[in-house]
Amino acid sequence: MRVVTVPSSLDDRTLDVLAQDIGEWPPTNGLLLDARATHWASPYGLTALLTLGQAVSEAKLPAPRFTIPDSDEVRSYWARAGFFHAAAECFELVGRIPKKSSDAPSDVLLPVTPVRAAEDVHHVVGRIQERAQRILAAELNLEAKATMGFAMALSEACQNIVEHAGTGGWVAVQTYNWRKRLGRKVVVIAVSDGGMGFRRSLEPTEAKKVGDRWGDGAALELAILHNVSRFRDPGRGQGLAGIRRYLGRWQGKLSVRSGTARLAVVPDWDDDDPLSEHLPFFPGSQVQITIPAQEAATR
Amino acid sequence: MMQRIDLAPLLRETVATPYSDLVTRSTGAALRDRIERTISSASHRTTQLDFTSVGLLDFSCADEVVAKLLLRVADDEEHYVVLSGVTESHLDAIEHVLERHGLSVAALTPGDQAPRVLGATTPDVIAAFQIVQRLGAGDAGRLADALGWTIERAADALQLLALRRLIQAAGGTYRPLVLP
Repeated sequence: MRVVTVPSSLDDRTLDVLAQDIGEWPPTNGLLLDARATHWASPYGLTALLTLGQAVSEAKLPAPRFTIPDSDEVRSYWARAGFFHAAAECFELVGRIPKKSSDAPSDVLLPVTPVRAAEDVHHVVGRIQERAQRILAAELNLEAKATMGFAMALSEACQNIVEHAGTGGWVAVQTYNWRKRLGRKVVVIAVSDGGMGFRRSLEPTEAKKVGDRWGDGAALELAILHNVSRFRDPGRGQGLAGIRRYLGRWQGKLSVRSGTARLAVVPDWDDDDPLSEHLPFFPGSQVQITIPAQEAATR
Repeated sequence: MMQRIDLAPLLRETVATPYSDLVTRSTGAALRDRIERTISSASHRTTQLDFTSVGLLDFSCADEVVAKLLLRVADDEEHYVVLSGVTESHLDAIEHVLERHGLSVAALTPGDQAPRVLGATTPDVIAAFQIVQRLGAGDAGRLADALGWTIERAADALQLLALRRLIQAAGGTYRPLVLP
């Protein structure tokens, strides 16, 4: 069995470390994910972990074992954020799991929620709106128009799973304080699926046109920067375009990882690389949308 | 005569959701199918799509319910679509999908006295639309007089409005859309 240590702090950047440690895909040996020393995970990290479990399961391999965090506080938080409830479907959980609580932490706008069909998107959008509007207005100074756009971005990000992944996925939404990185609060939407990824989705129609450069990075560029969809319908490809339009208005960041590449639409406040290629492989696609609290002058 | 289609209840009939949000492409496609059948079952020349009580409208659903519906209706001779009950929260998605397809539609938003043009447009189209709505039926000469334009400029704007089904054209005269 291959033992993979979950980074102590798991987010969009440290997922690459986890992917590196998993090694070749699909894993030839059973996996044991050791999260005992993990003290924090972003919604991106939590949903990506679930995607890993799901992808292993869909590859007809034995369910990975997952040793849960030692810290009572972390365990409790992950339980209230809906992680263990979801993880029980795709991992063999090892450790004392707190009882499921119906009270999500106050910074969790949407606990980890499965997305498999259009009805799930209706449920996610309907469930989050009232709570999100109140919190986004009070804590992030987002005006009503921005909170409505937020729900639209959430809807479109979830629909990417339904329309393109070919399998299910997960979504979670949380606010947190990026004191060191930004000095402001942010709200983060994380959507992750274990599906075919952008490259395989676009390969039949786009690979020949792109030629030697074809790969995960080129596929992400086409989908995100040029609104290319595998469907011939000219109305397709508007979801990600709409998300970019919304984020441009509110200084938000979009980051999408698929396979071995990650593409980010980077606002002024961040220094992420616009395109990272040749990363260690991670199954499916992971989308992160980050919207910072608005300062009076930027509104 | 105008046919009014109330989208919020139609949504609940179509996809059995407790919510009033127009989200997802499949929902939009199902709703558009119902709208098209409703339109074809009646003989009205103008259809009013009423967004009153619709919560969120996302881009994919707007593409199906508004943009694709306009493209389908464009195949029918002399059928017009106007939107009503459109709020600020719907505008972004509607404008975005219409611009992408190079389409326009007349819309009434709560609180506005007069309709506005959404989607792909130009300053001349907006000015001409507003004057035709205000002055009523007329020809290019009347519009040119009202706006201080040349006849050719007025005729071009009117022709574009007619092509986009934002006014009704008959011979050399133009009439504003029938509005609720």
